[in-house]
Amino acid sequence: MSDLTLRGRAWVYPDNVAIDGDLMALEWALKRETRPEVLREHVFAGLDPGFPNRAKPGDIVVGGRRFAQGNPHIQGMIGLKGCGVGLVAESIPIGSFRNALAAGLPVLPRCPGVRAMFANGEEIEVDFAAARVRNLTKGTEATFAPLGEHLLAMLRAGGWGPMFRRRLDATAPA
Amino acid sequence: MRGGQTITEKILSRICGRRVMAGEVVMPEAELITVHDWYTVNAFRTLDDFGVTKLHDAARVLLVTDHEPLAVSPQAFARQHAVRGIAQRFGVAHRDAGRGGLGHVFPVEEGLVTPGMFIFAYDPHVTNYGAVGALGVAVLTEIPEVLACGSVWLQVPETLRVEITGALPFGVFARDAAQKLIGSHDAALFEDAVVEYGGPGLASLGMDARHTLCNTPVELGAVSSIVESDALCMAYAKARAQRPIHAVLPDAGASYRTRITLDLSALAPQVALPPTPDNVVDVTEAAGKPIGHAFIGSCASGMLDDLRVAAAVLRGRQVAPGVRMIVTPATQQVAADAAAEGLIEVFMRAGAMVTAPGCGVCAGGRIGGVTAGEHSIGTGTRNEPGRLGAHEAVLHIAGPATVAASAVAGSIADPRPFLREAAWGMAA
Repeated sequence: MSDLTLRGRAWVYPDNVAIDGDLMALEWALKRETRPEVLREHVFAGLDPGFPNRAKPGDIVVGGRRFAQGNPHIQGMIGLKGCGVGLVAESIPIGSFRNALAAGLPVLPRCPGVRAMFANGEEIEVDFAAARVRNLTKGTEATFAPLGEHLLAMLRAGGWGPMFRRRLDATAPA
Repeated sequence: MRGGQTITEKILSRICGRRVMAGEVVMPEAELITVHDWYTVNAFRTLDDFGVTKLHDAARVLLVTDHEPLAVSPQAFARQHAVRGIAQRFGVAHRDAGRGGLGHVFPVEEGLVTPGMFIFAYDPHVTNYGAVGALGVAVLTEIPEVLACGSVWLQVPETLRVEITGALPFGVFARDAAQKLIGSHDAALFEDAVVEYGGPGLASLGMDARHTLCNTPVELGAVSSIVESDALCMAYAKARAQRPIHAVLPDAGASYRTRITLDLSALAPQVALPPTPDNVVDVTEAAGKPIGHAFIGSCASGMLDDLRVAAAVLRGRQVAPGVRMIVTPATQQVAADAAAEGLIEVFMRAGAMVTAPGCGVCAGGRIGGVTAGEHSIGTGTRNEPGRLGAHEAVLHIAGPATVAASAVAGSIADPRPFLREAAWGMAA
């Protein structure tokens, strides 16, 4: 089990969850709010408003196809990160996938069949480095396409900002 | 034996200096980085936050002012002023309002983008560069890294191959083909892929049409679009290239996500109904719906060929009472050519407004938008609620001929009778 492993309850959502509206109200993008402690309170405000109060660190959002589709605003991903949860989905459009990594949110964007593995609330364990998803309630598991070294390094660093900082420091003249 | 490569894999292989294939995560260095007005201030504020005072290569950066060229609010005056300051401070090229136009289009016109080039940009419609065989990819949050370090991570995209066959029938245009393409396939085909156009029907499509075809797939989640660099493309590029040409064709054994066919000859004029660009029907199914707002322009359909056909419909006719019509040439060059051909006069005499080159109404409805309860038909890129202003406005998308015909009729109209009457396509 790698350092990038989360264990908790599965939060299962349907296909085509929209970034704006479902995952987070557009107003937070327009306000350019980027504080995780603020945005965590507004995750799934349109789709599942009880989420921020009931989700616990280690829980995993299990999305369907095209999770976080739409104009790729980063606020929803920062909010999920603020909740301490992880994200796996049948598919996540590239703009939102980039934003999830940039926010430092543990994510697996291409997990065909993963939604059918879970009923809402079942025990889930995801090793994001090994790209392995386990249903601890049912005793099933599946492995998906790995993220690769660079993207895992980004998750370990805590997202795009710290990774960019590191790159700037590495190339700065002595 | 290793498989053949797509155009995208070949371009990224050249950039990376080694053979790369779909799925690999690479750090490609962009040969051009375009950043558009609204975003420039934010991107450079982030650079300030990180203490970056020097760009990786200022000569590769192009700032453009196109989303709101004619500033109409104090905030916009200030933002434009800030962009001018940034350009000066970092020593980068800035094509200010009136000095280029739409940044997805004029770099192709001017040969700043050439076949085989690789570009990062802070705007999804950078995909237009594919018209000339270049690969443009949008990067949002991480664009400061591209500016500071020259590159950012990219997963080499899979490619969806589109074989174009046939030729467009009378009264049907590139935008109709593009809308039909995204309307008749599952979005999963397009998602995260580059759309690669080729096939026997390609030769019948001019450069303006290719801009349109490269523009539309991004609405279904495509990473980019690219057209094979054929004889027409190469002649166009050689006549204006300001950068080296690295044209590539796909290998015969290239590996595609899938191959689909776009038969131009089987098409009718298309209208996208609310709420998404892929919700398309034949114009005959939408005809008669009243409209009060008509727009021709955008990176999808603001090129000279688009204005020509719109003018053919409008020549000698009047925009219907109760309809306001806005025409926005994509670039200064398009506007100048349209004026020289007398097209601007046609628009003015018909009762339309012609606005400063750039994105026009399509840039989030800051210019000439619509309010709740209004019905619009336009050639903008998207029609999700709120795109042109009020969330409660009703937005349709169509090609320029259909929009012009609808403006004259006061309701959504099939352009073919208008074009027949105008003897469109007949030798003078």
